[in-house]
Amino acid sequence: MIRFKNVTKTYPPDIVGLKNVNLHIRPGEFVSIVGQSGTGKTTLAKLLIADERPTRGQIIIGGWDISAIKPSEIPLLRRQIGVVFQDFKLLPKKTVYENVAFALEVCGASSRKIKSIVPQALKIVGLVDKADRYPRQISGGEQQRVVIARALVHRPKIIVADEPTGNLDSLNTREIIDLLKKINEFGTTVVLVTHNREVVNELHRRVITIDRGMIVSDQEEGKYVL
Amino acid sequence: MSLISHFRVVRFAFQDFYRNFWLSVATISVLVLTLISVNVLLTVNVIGKVALSMVKSKIDVSVHFKPEIDESRVQTIKISLLSMPDVKDVEYVSPAQSLERFSDMYKKDELVLKSLGEVGVNPFGSTLVIKAREIEGYPKIMQALEEPALSEMVEEKDFDDRQALITRIESIAKKIEWFGLGASLIFCLITLLIVFNTIRVSIYTHRDEIRIMRLVGASNSFIRGPFYVEAIIWSVLALGLTLALMYPAISFFQPFVQRFFGTDAVDMIGFYRANYLRVFGSQLAAVALMALITTKMATGRYLRD
Repeated sequence: MIRFKNVTKTYPPDIVGLKNVNLHIRPGEFVSIVGQSGTGKTTLAKLLIADERPTRGQIIIGGWDISAIKPSEIPLLRRQIGVVFQDFKLLPKKTVYENVAFALEVCGASSRKIKSIVPQALKIVGLVDKADRYPRQISGGEQQRVVIARALVHRPKIIVADEPTGNLDSLNTREIIDLLKKINEFGTTVVLVTHNREVVNELHRRVITIDRGMIVSDQEEGKYVL
Repeated sequence: MSLISHFRVVRFAFQDFYRNFWLSVATISVLVLTLISVNVLLTVNVIGKVALSMVKSKIDVSVHFKPEIDESRVQTIKISLLSMPDVKDVEYVSPAQSLERFSDMYKKDELVLKSLGEVGVNPFGSTLVIKAREIEGYPKIMQALEEPALSEMVEEKDFDDRQALITRIESIAKKIEWFGLGASLIFCLITLLIVFNTIRVSIYTHRDEIRIMRLVGASNSFIRGPFYVEAIIWSVLALGLTLALMYPAISFFQPFVQRFFGTDAVDMIGFYRANYLRVFGSQLAAVALMALITTKMATGRYLRD
């Protein structure tokens, strides 16, 4: 599903983001990428959605080599990967419903399809009753659930969640992680980037630890070891 | 983009327009002020030109012939003068008409009238009042009148008195033209900068949204589309508002301007009515084009890969 072959990312002048990373994530896995701040976790997430390009190496997603992806192909890639961010990244002038629908509208989905899928996605995240509210009118946990609903509408094979609980309290954190687990149970590969020790330890799933841009540990049922 | 995507682009543009109402109001206000300034400049230019052409049209040259020169000879000269390309019109004033005009002009001056009575006969000869097509044509006409065959018959020409005035008007006319051109150019530049910066600021406030749209897989054209449509909405509304403000203002001031110049020739409403498609069409096209180019440049900053 996801393969990194000797991937290195450096930023000018010579700051190392990732160094010789080799990684293989199989379909349907729930993988936590852990590490301290500034170790390269977010760089890895950005490389997955082509927000950054590798300096060296190859990144293959579902057989598609995205290492030298053309700018015009990036929207196509992003429609196949659901992305969840720490700072939500919702459109402030659109309602909850419109934010979720937007992900479908950009790829030219029919109105009928949008009217059928968006309520389903909002039902999964439990926000049907808040569909007409604007992001500023709902809580942080609810905003993150909107982001997850938006990521789900394309029925993506992969969801990349970069610190999705970073701005949430423990109750909301649990809700978001439960939601990601539920999505994973449907067969979606989940890549969770986090430095939340409790979350990782309670998951009992594969844990990849990054330190100074390199993979220092990769355990099938791991714990937060740093 | 598919038809449904085009429809969505237009819908998002209108949605963005009213959900960012105050930003839209601010942008349109700047565009309206700019358009009003351009139209005021245009109005001043038109009034200036009309005023100048009025003054020019009042200039003529009177050639007074000696009393012994009979009418048929003067009429022949009139015909030959009319054949000159620079001559617009030649009016023949008979000795009797000249006497009548003179008496009329000095009807309150008894001394002059008494002196005229003492002469006993009509002292005036025939007169030709010559009008040139352009003010620059007078020197050529004067040159033709200087020919010996003609100058012998002429008693007096009053052009010399007006030579200074004509030269002065010519220089003012040239200055006005240069000033109008210079002011228009400076205004175009200012307008360009205002429109450019206003739209840049407006798009700057949307920079996070643009980044989010990209992250959820929107293509560049889908992101730019609503901004383009919104730029056109701003332009159309700004021009509409400018018209709504300018029309009553000009209607209000026009009678004062006409009274000032003492003629109905200064007709701005008439000018706008006759040229509305050219004047407002070109303004709309210019503002919309500027808005579109600026939008492309401003959004491009946040759409670079």
